[in-house]
Amino acid sequence: MSVELLGVLLLGGGYLGLLFLCASAVERGKVSIRVLRHPIVYTLALGVYASAWALYGSLEFAAEAGFGYLAYYLGAAGAFLLAPVLLVPIQRITRTYQLSSLADLFAFRFRSRWAGTLVTLISALAVLPLLGIQVQTLGGAVSLLTQGQAGSSVALVFCAPIAAFAILFGTRHAHARAQPDVLLSTLAVESVVKLAAMLALGGLALWLVFDGPASLQQWLEGPGLAAQVATTKLDPAHWRTLLLLFFAAAFLMPHLFHITFAENLSRHTLLQASWTLPLFLLLMALPVPLIWWAAQASQGDVPLAAYAAYFIDTHWWIGAIAFIGGLAAASSTMIVIALALSGMVLNHIVLVARPPEAHSDLYGWLLWLRRGLIVAVVVSGWLFDQWLKHSAVLTDLGLTAFVGIAQCLPGMLALLYWPGANRTGVVVGLLGGAIIWLWGLWLPLVTGVTLPPLPYALFLPPDSPLWYHTALLSLAVNILLLIVISLFTRTSEGERSAAEACSVDAVIRSKRLPLEAATAADFTPHLAQAIGDEAATREVARAMKALRLQPEERRPYALRRLRDRLQANLSGLMGPSVARDIVDRYLPYRHDDAPATDDIHFVESRLEAYRSRLTGLARELDGLRRHHRQTLAHLPLGLCVVGDDDEVVMWNQALSQLSGIGGDSVIGSRYDNLPAPWPTLLARVLGATQAPLYKQAVTLHGRDYFLTLHKAVLDGHDSRGGSVILVEDHTEMKWLEEELAHAARLASIGQLAAGVAHEIGNPITGISSLAQNLRYDTEDPALLETADQIQQLTQRVTRIVNSLVGFAHGGLPSAVLDAPVDLALISAEALHLINLARSGEDVTLINTCPEGIIVRGDGQRLTQVMVNLLSNARDACSAGDEIVISAGTGEHQAWWRVTDTGRGIAADVREHLFEPFVTTKAPGEGTGLGLSLAYQIVAEHQGKIEVASPPPDTPCGTAMTLWLPCHQQDASNAHAQDSHR
Amino acid sequence: MYVYRLMLFLVFGGYLLSPLLMSGWGDPSAAWYRPFVIWGGLIALTLWLEQKRKLDER
Repeated sequence: MSVELLGVLLLGGGYLGLLFLCASAVERGKVSIRVLRHPIVYTLALGVYASAWALYGSLEFAAEAGFGYLAYYLGAAGAFLLAPVLLVPIQRITRTYQLSSLADLFAFRFRSRWAGTLVTLISALAVLPLLGIQVQTLGGAVSLLTQGQAGSSVALVFCAPIAAFAILFGTRHAHARAQPDVLLSTLAVESVVKLAAMLALGGLALWLVFDGPASLQQWLEGPGLAAQVATTKLDPAHWRTLLLLFFAAAFLMPHLFHITFAENLSRHTLLQASWTLPLFLLLMALPVPLIWWAAQASQGDVPLAAYAAYFIDTHWWIGAIAFIGGLAAASSTMIVIALALSGMVLNHIVLVARPPEAHSDLYGWLLWLRRGLIVAVVVSGWLFDQWLKHSAVLTDLGLTAFVGIAQCLPGMLALLYWPGANRTGVVVGLLGGAIIWLWGLWLPLVTGVTLPPLPYALFLPPDSPLWYHTALLSLAVNILLLIVISLFTRTSEGERSAAEACSVDAVIRSKRLPLEAATAADFTPHLAQAIGDEAATREVARAMKALRLQPEERRPYALRRLRDRLQANLSGLMGPSVARDIVDRYLPYRHDDAPATDDIHFVESRLEAYRSRLTGLARELDGLRRHHRQTLAHLPLGLCVVGDDDEVVMWNQALSQLSGIGGDSVIGSRYDNLPAPWPTLLARVLGATQAPLYKQAVTLHGRDYFLTLHKAVLDGHDSRGGSVILVEDHTEMKWLEEELAHAARLASIGQLAAGVAHEIGNPITGISSLAQNLRYDTEDPALLETADQIQQLTQRVTRIVNSLVGFAHGGLPSAVLDAPVDLALISAEALHLINLARSGEDVTLINTCPEGIIVRGDGQRLTQVMVNLLSNARDACSAGDEIVISAGTGEHQAWWRVTDTGRGIAADVREHLFEPFVTTKAPGEGTGLGLSLAYQIVAEHQGKIEVASPPPDTPCGTAMTLWLPCHQQDASNAHAQDSHR
Repeated sequence: MYVYRLMLFLVFGGYLLSPLLMSGWGDPSAAWYRPFVIWGGLIALTLWLEQKRKLDER
C-alpha cells in the first residue's frame, strides 16, 4: 500500500471515526440539550441539501453556465422563503398524522397504496443518480490524492462505515422518529466541516492565487475578461426551469423531506430557517466563483479536482481540505438518503407486499428489515457508480435526479391547495410524467443507449438541451393528466376527509361515531390480533400515556382520540396504508342507524391549537367564537349541552362547581356514564315534554339540593342537533320559602296570642276588680292578704300576656327607633320571657344591669334581640353553667353584654355567624336566622355587635356585646317639640 | 388568503423576472460580489419579516 493511499484511508477513516465519537457523545448525554436543540443546529442539519453536488457539481456547472450555478442555491432558498405557506402546512400534516416520508404523505392524502408505492419507486430511481454523484466525487477525490492508485474501491471502503453509522444511530428503535438529536447534531457537524472546507478553499483562491479582492477585480477586468465573456450565458427559460427543479428538490428529495418534516423540528425553527438556511447556502455558494476563477487563472481547466491537483504538488493539505469537505457532504447525504429511502421502501413496497403478521417480536422484525434496506441503498449507490464507470458527468447525473423528483411537485401542490384532486388523477399524472422522465433522461443515462426521441420539437425549440425538454414535457403531461382525470373521475369519501385534513384552508369536520371497543383497555386485545400481544400492549400504553388516559376510560370522545393516536403511531412504524388497514379492521367504528354528527369539541380543540396561525377575518371570527364560548363558560347558571347521540358536548364552570365534576372529565362522555344523580336527572329533563322541571330534590356531595332544570332543543336549520340544559340551584330559595311559611305560621300564632290575651284580659280585669272590692268589703286581715295576693297574681298574668303580645308585634318594623329604652327593664323583660320556656332550667341566668342606662331605640325590638342572644347562650350551655347580663356606658354609647360559660363558637363558624341559615344546632332545632335578625335590628339602631369567644381572660364561653347609642334627654325633647309644631 | 395571494403574486413575479437579474450578474465591469450583496439583502428582508411575524404572534 502506497503512502498516499494510507494517508487517504487514515484521513477519511479518522474523519468518520470522529463522526462516530460525536454521535456517541450526544447519545450518552455528554452534550447539553440546550446546545442540541439550538435553532442553529437545525439549520446546519438542513444544510444536508448541500451534497457533493454543492462542492463539485456546482463548479462544473459554473464552468458551463457562469452564474447559472446559483439556481441550485436560490431554488432551495426560495422554497424556505415560502416556509409559512408551503413547508409549515406540510409539517403540520406530517406531525399530526405521524407521516415520515413523501410516500406516506401521498398514501395518506390520496388513500391509495398505489400512490405511496409509485412515489417510493420514483424517489428510489431519482435518488440513485444522486447517490452516484456522492460515490463518484468521493472516488474522484481519492483517485486525485493517490495519483490514480485507488478510487472506487476505497469509496466502497468508506461506504461501509457510512451504512454502519445509519444503522447504529438511525435505527436503534423501530419508530422512524427515534433519536432525532443524534442524527441532527451529526449532520450539523458535517455541515460545519463542509462549509469550513468551502470557505477555506475560497479564501485560498482569493489570497493565494490572487492577492485579495482588488487583485481579483483587476484580473476579471483584465486578463480574465475574455474567459468571462466566452462563458455561455444560461438561457432565461433554462434558468427558470432550473430554479423550479431545485425549488422542488429542496423539500421533495427523500433525505430533505426526512430532515425537514420527519425530525423534530419545531414550527418556529422551520420559520427561522426561512432566512438562516439561505444564509448558509450563500456562504456555501460564495467560494464557488472564486475557485472557478482561480482555476481559470491557474490552468484554464475548471473542475475542483484540477484546481486541487494544481496545488497538491506544493500544498498537499489543500487536496486534503477538498477531500474532507467532499467526504462530509457525501457521507451526510448518503446517511440521510439511506434512512429515508429504507423507510419508504419498507412501508410502501415490503410491508404492502407482505403485511405484518402477529409476530412475537414485531419491532425486531421491522428493525432488521430496515437495517437490511439501509445497506442495500448505500451499496446500490456504489453499484450505480460502478455501472456507469464514471462515464456520466456530474451535471447530467444531478439533473436526472432533480427532474425525476420534480414529478412529485404537482401532486404535492394539489395535496395542499386543491381538495378536488383524487387518487386516479395523481397516480395517472405521476405515471405519465415518470414514463417521459425515464424515457428521456434516466434510461439513456443508465443504459447509454439513445432511445427514439419524444416529440419535443412539437412544443419546444429543437436546439434546447435534453434535460430541459424532458423536464417541461414530463411536468406538463403530469399536471394535465392530474387535472383532467381528477375532474372527470369520482373522489371517494375517505379521500375527501383526508383532503380536508391536508388542505391549507381545511374545514375539518370530524364525526362523532361510537367505537366497538367500550374502554381503552379493550383496544389491546383487538389490536393484538394484528400485531401481536407485546406490540399491541406497548402501542396502546404509549398512546394512552401521550393522551393521559386511563385503561378504564369510557368516554367516546377520548376513545376516538385514542384510535386516531394509535393510527398515527402505527403510521410512523409501518406507513399510513398498513396502519389505516389495521385500525379500520381491528378497531372499527360502530355504525348505528343514528346519523353521525360533527365532533364540535374536537374542532374547538384544533381551533385553540392553531389560533396563533389565524389571520384576518378568520381571526376575527375566532375571537367572536371565543367570546361566545366564554360567555357560556362563565354563565352564573349551570349549563350543559347534550348531543343527539347522548354525548355531553358542553359542561360549564357553574355546573362543574355545583356538581363537583370537572368539565374536562365529562365532555365527550355519554351522559348515562356520569356519576349519580346526573344520569337520572338529565334523562328526566331530556325525556320531559313539558320543561322546566322545578325543584328536583337531589343529594350532591352529602348535601340536599333543589335544582330546577330548563331545556331547549337545538333543531334549527343550521343546527348540529342536541339539547341545551340550564340548571338552576333553588336550594336557598326553597329554604326561604319554608322559613317564610314558618314565619307566617308564627305571625298567625302571634295574632292568636293577641286575641287570647284580649280575651284573658277581660276576666283578669274582672278578677282584679273583685279582689279590689274584696279589700273594701272586709277588715279580716287574712282576707285582705288573700285579696293582695290575687291582685299581685293578676298583675303578673297581665304582665305575661302583655309581654307575649309585645313580642308577637316585635318582628314588625317600627318607625320609632329613638324612644328612650332602659336596658335594665328590657333585660328583665327578656329574662322573664326566656324563663317561660321549659328548656334550660338548670342554667343560671343573672341580670346585673344597673338601672338608669337609657339608650335610644325600640324597646320591643331590642327585647327580641336580647331574647335571641339569651336563647343562643342557653343552648350553648350545659347544666350548671351561668349566663350574665351586664351593661355600662361609654362616651356616647352604652354597652350591653351577654356572657356565658358554655362551649363557645368555633372559629370557622364565627366568620359567618351573622349570615342567614348559619347554625350549629341539629336540623329542626334552629333555623340559623336568629342572629342574622339580631344583627339587622342592631344595625338599624346604628349600633354594632362584637363577639368574643372565649372572652378575654376566660378559658371558655362567649361574650356578645351590643353597642347602642345613648339617649340624649335634651335632643329628644327638642325633637319631640319639633314634631309637635 | 389575502396574504397568500399577495405573497404568491410577488414570488411568481420574482420567478419570472429573475433572468433579468442573472444577466446583470454576469457583467464583468460590475463588482464580482454584486449577486451576493443582492442575495444578502433578500436574506435581511426575510429576517425582518420573520421578526415582524414573531411580534404579531405574541
